[in-house]
Amino acid sequence: MRARLTRRAALGTAAALALGSCGGGDDPPAGAGAAPGSGAGLLGSLLAFELAVTAAYEACFDVLRGDALRWTREIHEDERRHADFLERLIRDLGGTPPRSKSREEYARSFPRLPDATAALRFMQDLEEREVRGFLDALADLPDPELRASVAELAVAEGAHLAAVHVLRREPAAQDPFVTGAL
Amino acid sequence: MSRTRRDLLILGLLTGGALSPALAVAQRRSSRESLEDLLGRERRLAMAYEAALRRDAVEPAVGEVLLAHERAHVQGLERTLRGGPEPEATVPDPELTRALGGRRSFAEYALGLETETLGVYSDAVPYVRDAELRKALGSIMTCIGTHQVALRRLLAAPLVVHPR
Repeated sequence: MRARLTRRAALGTAAALALGSCGGGDDPPAGAGAAPGSGAGLLGSLLAFELAVTAAYEACFDVLRGDALRWTREIHEDERRHADFLERLIRDLGGTPPRSKSREEYARSFPRLPDATAALRFMQDLEEREVRGFLDALADLPDPELRASVAELAVAEGAHLAAVHVLRREPAAQDPFVTGAL
Repeated sequence: MSRTRRDLLILGLLTGGALSPALAVAQRRSSRESLEDLLGRERRLAMAYEAALRRDAVEPAVGEVLLAHERAHVQGLERTLRGGPEPEATVPDPELTRALGGRRSFAEYALGLETETLGVYSDAVPYVRDAELRKALGSIMTCIGTHQVALRRLLAAPLVVHPR
């Protein structure tokens, strides 16, 4: 058990390293151009992470088979829709959404994924981080309509997290308060 | 952080100390009413899972977990509301009575009830003024998302659906 936790922590750290800087680089600040305090910057950070997650799921396809691959593709499709939705929200606020990086740029910073077990563990970490990000945004966004949107996305990521638990042969629903993790 | 400790922290957020102003924060009367409505719905879910477990209308391993979660939600909301209204004595819901006839019918009923409850949270939570309370309530909403997956599993329904 101890070894398992250590591996998980290592993977989680790798994921954090891989994705923590996804909104940075040479791009303009996330949500640039919108009025200060509109929430566009925060939504831009969420979009940058969402784009990295989409690339991360594509990296997982290579080592997954059967039901795990099928449902991972479905989750990936959902994540793409979330990215499109966030992009629209940012544009509606007058902001410029962050652009996606190349697959190679993202892949350089992902952890090594030798098998399905590692991929599913990585997916769980990604979903935990997404839940946390959207719940933080629910607290921080100024506009109730934007809050409603990110709450909906948090619920969707919670459902993804549950699906990943099932693919890992674990119970779908595990905690009464699903807060996500960094 | 252990799950138990984290759950206690969230409960703490939903309780007196950190959130004593919570409902002072949700200043509009409608906010309190919304939370009372949520409490009523969480109690209804808890009662449904209790009844289903008694009648063997849900797989025990799943039903017990979902019931424990609903009880934690009820506890958190009661603390937020500093007690809240007492549970109302009501006649058994005829829909629930019918649903308890089998595991499939109960899973369908529970999925409907969870979805309805999520809708009420979605309407209310964005308007709660206290940021930390919004986040804590959001963690319940996210839990409901996991319950929907657990119930869809019982129904052999797709693991992932595309609502948006």
